[in-house]
Amino acid sequence: MKLTARNSAKGYFFISGWIIGFLIFTLIPIIRTFWFSFNRVRFTADGIKESFIGLLNYKNAFLMDVAFTDGLINYAGQMAVFIPVIITFSLIAAILLTKDIKGKGFFRTIFFLPVIITSGPVMKQLIEQNATSLPGISEYFSVQELANEFGLLGNLLGTVLSSFIMILWFCGVQILIFIAAIQKLDQSMYEAASIDGASGWQSFWKLTLPALMPVVGVNVLYTLVTLSGFSLNTIVQKISTDMYDINRGIGYATALSVIYFGVILIILTVFMVFINGRRKKAER
Amino acid sequence: MSKFQGTKINPKNFHKSQIKFYLFLVPFAVFMVLPLVFIFSQAFKPMDELLQFPPKILVAHPSFENFRQLFSTMTNSGLPVTRYLFNSITVTAITVILTVYISVSAGYALSKKKFGLRNFIFKVNTFALMFVPIAVSIPRYIIVVKMGLIDTFVINILPMLAMPVGLFLVKQFIDQIPDTLIEAAKIDGANDFIIFFRIIIPLCKPAIATLVILSFQTAWNYTEASSIYINNESFKTFAYFMNTVTSTNNTVAGMGMAAAAALIMFLPNLIIFIFTQSKVMNTMAHSGIK
Repeated sequence: MKLTARNSAKGYFFISGWIIGFLIFTLIPIIRTFWFSFNRVRFTADGIKESFIGLLNYKNAFLMDVAFTDGLINYAGQMAVFIPVIITFSLIAAILLTKDIKGKGFFRTIFFLPVIITSGPVMKQLIEQNATSLPGISEYFSVQELANEFGLLGNLLGTVLSSFIMILWFCGVQILIFIAAIQKLDQSMYEAASIDGASGWQSFWKLTLPALMPVVGVNVLYTLVTLSGFSLNTIVQKISTDMYDINRGIGYATALSVIYFGVILIILTVFMVFINGRRKKAER
Repeated sequence: MSKFQGTKINPKNFHKSQIKFYLFLVPFAVFMVLPLVFIFSQAFKPMDELLQFPPKILVAHPSFENFRQLFSTMTNSGLPVTRYLFNSITVTAITVILTVYISVSAGYALSKKKFGLRNFIFKVNTFALMFVPIAVSIPRYIIVVKMGLIDTFVINILPMLAMPVGLFLVKQFIDQIPDTLIEAAKIDGANDFIIFFRIIIPLCKPAIATLVILSFQTAWNYTEASSIYINNESFKTFAYFMNTVTSTNNTVAGMGMAAAAALIMFLPNLIIFIFTQSKVMNTMAHSGIK
C-alpha cells in the first residue's frame, strides 16, 4: 500500500466510530426531514403515508402562519444583539481572567458554572420564576417606553436589559475557549510591543484582537448554535408543538425547521463575512 | 517600570493594582452564582413563599415539605425509584466514556490526518450543528424502529454517542497542537495509537473535561429515548421519571415538587462539575504547548 493510502486508511479508521453514529442518528434523519418538508405526512394504522405536495408547506409557512414569520424576525433581531454582547463580554472576562489576579482559579470556576445550569429543567424553572431579568430594572424603565423613545435601538437595548442575566449565563464555554487561546499567545510579542512604546490598549487592538479573530469565529458559531437549539427558544417550541398538531403535522413542522435552518445559516454567514473583513483589515 | 507588569510571572499576592479587575469580576461573579442559590432555596421554600410575587431569591423559612411530597408520590408507582436511578447512572456513565473516545478519535483524524473526505465531513458536522434537534426526532424514530431497537436498553445510549458539538470543540482544540510535536513522536517510533493515547489525549484534557461536562448533562437530562422509544417501564431513566412526576401533578402543589425535583436533577451536574473543573480551568495553563 502506498504511504498516502495508508495514512488516509488510518484517518478513516479513527473517524469510523463517529461516522457510523453520525450517519444513523443525525445525518440520515436530517435528510429524511428535508424530504418530509415537501410532503404531507400522515400516520395511519399501516405506517406512515407521505404524499408529495411540493412547496405548499413552505408557502403556508410564509403566507398563512403569522406567528412563525414574526417569530423569525424577532429571533434574527435577538441574535443580532445577543451574539455581539456575549462575545464582547466573554472576551473581556477572558482577558481579565488571564491577568495575574489573586483568586483567579476561583473566578474562572464561577464564570464557567452557569454552563451546567443553562440546560433543561432548571433553566425553565428560572425563566418561569422571572429570575432571568435584572431585579429592579423593569420597575425603572419599561421596554415599551425605551422603544417609543429611541425606536429600534431602544427596543434592542430593552431586550438586552431584560434578559441580561441570561445572556451572561451563556458565556461559560466561550470564556473558556478565549482563555485557552489567550494563553497560547506569544508573550514575547507583547514584550517587544511594550519596548517599542505601545500601551496596553494599543497592544490589545493591534496584537490580541487580530490573533484572536479565528477564535472569535469559533465562538460566534458556538453561541449561535446554543442559542438557536436551546429548547426554550420560541421557534423551537413552535416547531415541536406543530409537529403533533393535527392540522399542521410533521410535514409542516419539518418545513419550518428547514426554513429556520436557512435563517441560522444566513445569520452565520453575515457574522463570518464581518469577521473575515476584520481579519483582512488587520493583516494589511 | 509598571509597563513590564505583563511579563512578571504569576504574583501570588494581592496588590493594589489588581483592585480595578476585582471591580469588574466580583459583581459579575455574583450574577453567575445567583441561579445556583436560587435553585437551592427554591427547593426548600414552603408553599406560601413559592407563590410570592415578586419571588425572593433566598428562602425565609426552609422546610423539607417539597421533598417529602415528591418521595411519597414516587412510592405510589410500581417500580422503586432506585431502578430509574440505576438506569440513569448506567446510561450516563457509558455515554460519557464512549462519547469522549469517539469525539477525540474523530477530532484527531479530522485535524491531523489527511484523507479525501476530511473537509467535507467537518463541514457536514458544522451544518448538522445548526439543525434543530427536535425536528429530526420522528425520522430518527423511524430508523430506530427499522433497526429493531425499540424497547431495548441500548437505545438510551446510542443516539447520543456522535455528538456534533463535541467533535466541533475537540477538533478546534486539536488544531492548536503543533504538527511538529506529532512528527517528532513519529520519528521516535511512535505509532498512531501511541500518539493518540500518549500525546493527543493528555494534551486535550481541558477539551475532554469540557466534553465530559457537556455529555454528562445531555445524558443525564435525556428523556427522548424513554418517552418515545421505550415502553418497558424498567428501562426508563430518572430524568424521564422526574418529568412525569412533576407534569402529571400539574397543580399548585406540583410547583413545590418541581422545585425539589429540579434540585435533585441538578445536584449530579454540580458534583461532576466540581470534580472536573480543576482540569478544565488549570491544565490549560500548563499544557506544554504555547
